[in-house]
Amino acid sequence: MTNPTNPTDEPRGIAGHGAFFQPTNLSPEEAERATDWVRKRVDRRTVDLGERMDDVREHMWELEKEGEIIVHRVTDAHEPRMVKTLFGWDKKIPTTRLWHHKSCGQCGNIPGYPTSLLWTMNGLGMAPGRDYLDETDQTSCTAWNYHGSGIGNVESLAAVFLRNFHQAYVSGKRLGHDAGYFFPLVHCGTSFGNYKEIRKYLIESAELRERVKKILAKLGRLVDGKIVIPEEVVHYSEWVHVMRKDIAAKLQKYDVSKMRVVVHMACHYSKMVHEDAIYDPEVLGGNRAATATGIAMALGAQVIDYSTWYDCCGFGFRHIISEREFTRSFTIDRKIKIAQVEAKADVMLTNDTGCVTTMDKNQWIGKAHEQQYSMPIMADIQFAALACGADPLKIVQLQWHASPCEDVVEKMGISWAESKKRFEEYLEQVKAGKIEYLYDPKLAMSMVA
Amino acid sequence: MATYAEMAEMYEDIKSDFRFDHELNGCLNCGICTATCPSAQFYDYSPREIVQLLWTENVEQIYDAMQEKIWACAQCMTCAARCPFKNSPGGLVSIMREVAIKHGMQSAKDVLRPFGRVMLKLITTGNQLSADMIQPDHFPDWGPNIQKVEGDLKVLRKAIPVKTLQTTETAWEVSLKTSVEMYTIWEMTGVMKQLETMDENLFDVIVDFIEEKREDYEDWLEEHADEKNDD
Repeated sequence: MTNPTNPTDEPRGIAGHGAFFQPTNLSPEEAERATDWVRKRVDRRTVDLGERMDDVREHMWELEKEGEIIVHRVTDAHEPRMVKTLFGWDKKIPTTRLWHHKSCGQCGNIPGYPTSLLWTMNGLGMAPGRDYLDETDQTSCTAWNYHGSGIGNVESLAAVFLRNFHQAYVSGKRLGHDAGYFFPLVHCGTSFGNYKEIRKYLIESAELRERVKKILAKLGRLVDGKIVIPEEVVHYSEWVHVMRKDIAAKLQKYDVSKMRVVVHMACHYSKMVHEDAIYDPEVLGGNRAATATGIAMALGAQVIDYSTWYDCCGFGFRHIISEREFTRSFTIDRKIKIAQVEAKADVMLTNDTGCVTTMDKNQWIGKAHEQQYSMPIMADIQFAALACGADPLKIVQLQWHASPCEDVVEKMGISWAESKKRFEEYLEQVKAGKIEYLYDPKLAMSMVA
Repeated sequence: MATYAEMAEMYEDIKSDFRFDHELNGCLNCGICTATCPSAQFYDYSPREIVQLLWTENVEQIYDAMQEKIWACAQCMTCAARCPFKNSPGGLVSIMREVAIKHGMQSAKDVLRPFGRVMLKLITTGNQLSADMIQPDHFPDWGPNIQKVEGDLKVLRKAIPVKTLQTTETAWEVSLKTSVEMYTIWEMTGVMKQLETMDENLFDVIVDFIEEKREDYEDWLEEHADEKNDD
């Protein structure tokens, strides 16, 4: 029988694409035009979400107009860079005049996380007190505790959020700056996710706003009788992402092109209020959240895919403290083992506190069950700082990591033994009170007591 | 064992939380949430089941799930990111945990007992953890390589080149005024009451600590008022 669409029955088309497929021989421009309507329909970044998804920021402007709230704006002075989020919305990432909202897990446990960030900012010429501020007047977001124990509630989380962000809003005053000068840069993924969730509730619920306002009034944390809500909630890894090319061009010292890197994307970065995470067409085709991967690519590392990339690390908030069997098992089975055996990675990078802690600390115990897997674990910014020549111990503070981060240092061509020797000599100086700082310590002392 | 009326009251508390309608929009039992859930792989826990129980208002089994199952959730929110209905099973679990605490469920007390040290740190300092909590002795399962440079913790922390981080008992230095503001938040939002319901001993320790800190702050204010007067 003759094929009606190919009466000559000559073989044509390309195997695997059906009998009738044949190249169109269109130019790239023509091809794009020809398929444009399809992409418009299927690309989630241009999809019409209707009532299924609301951009909370639009309601913020309405509330401000009605005199309900003050929006802490990302202004031109913050030199913002625009990025796209999951549904193609714009997000402004301030690049300067930043108020460091620290992470309790990072500062208590992985101090090289914030030090690497500050070191990188200094390297890019940012001046402490003018371009960023780190001070004592802040609490943690308290969400680790809430997600772990259920102690706390939306009202307490909202009050903590507004208190801390009010402090960011007024923090420049003591240095002679106007209100709103410094914009908060949130270091922790859970704080980032939690603050966005709470911001949403605050915008949606007049009752919650009223209740929290009373608390803020008692604390003296209202401005003209109103609560202050940030235009954007910005994660440090977003700052790193928009600055990635500057970091690579201006600061990079070591070639990392032989490094095989896997990325673990923090759940509370990309899955909590997921519409606000950055998706960049330059990074993995815009199909996965771009932070952390973006900086690894900009530095020239080989980013390796792995089958469990979407999985959580197993932190669990309560589990890492009181149900460690779960945390260890999950992180070894679903992350460390896969990164080593399947991806043959040299290092796993991530962009949150709990993920570094979980995956870094829960490897050795695998030996008890003959699970002999190990993988250096660090934050994206620690890897970047190392590639840019930061001291592995003094600045990147890798001595606090349990995983074999020495291997990453050595592979970059830096001697761990020499760095360690230098650090031990420095400890003697520290004992004698000769401490080197990334910024003038006086800047940290916000005001009282 | 609670009476049916008590169980119904708990369910009403869950349902009346303003987040409830936000987090529960319908369910086709597709199971995407459970397929992607880390806890479902290790525990007798399924986010799909949580959603179904609440959707069908199964009061007795909701109560049953509040005994242990809700505490298995890792709160990663993968379920919320994946649900085609935009449900948040993890968010619903948060509400159920709060209600379990409000009603002083024994199972909640048992689950939270090992979390006491962290709670003490957080409520009194505003930091979830501190350097002195992450010591090799406390976490033998983290292995012998937990610290790659030996030395006194205070000196090692002083060697961090950021002023706010040179502490051992807190993750960073928190000003006294900040802590006092936070205590006010705990009191005005019912967090202190939650603590009292869960663990009276811990509550007493925390109250004493807060009182002491408040006195320190009052003293500080007085001293500085004198300084101002001297000027």
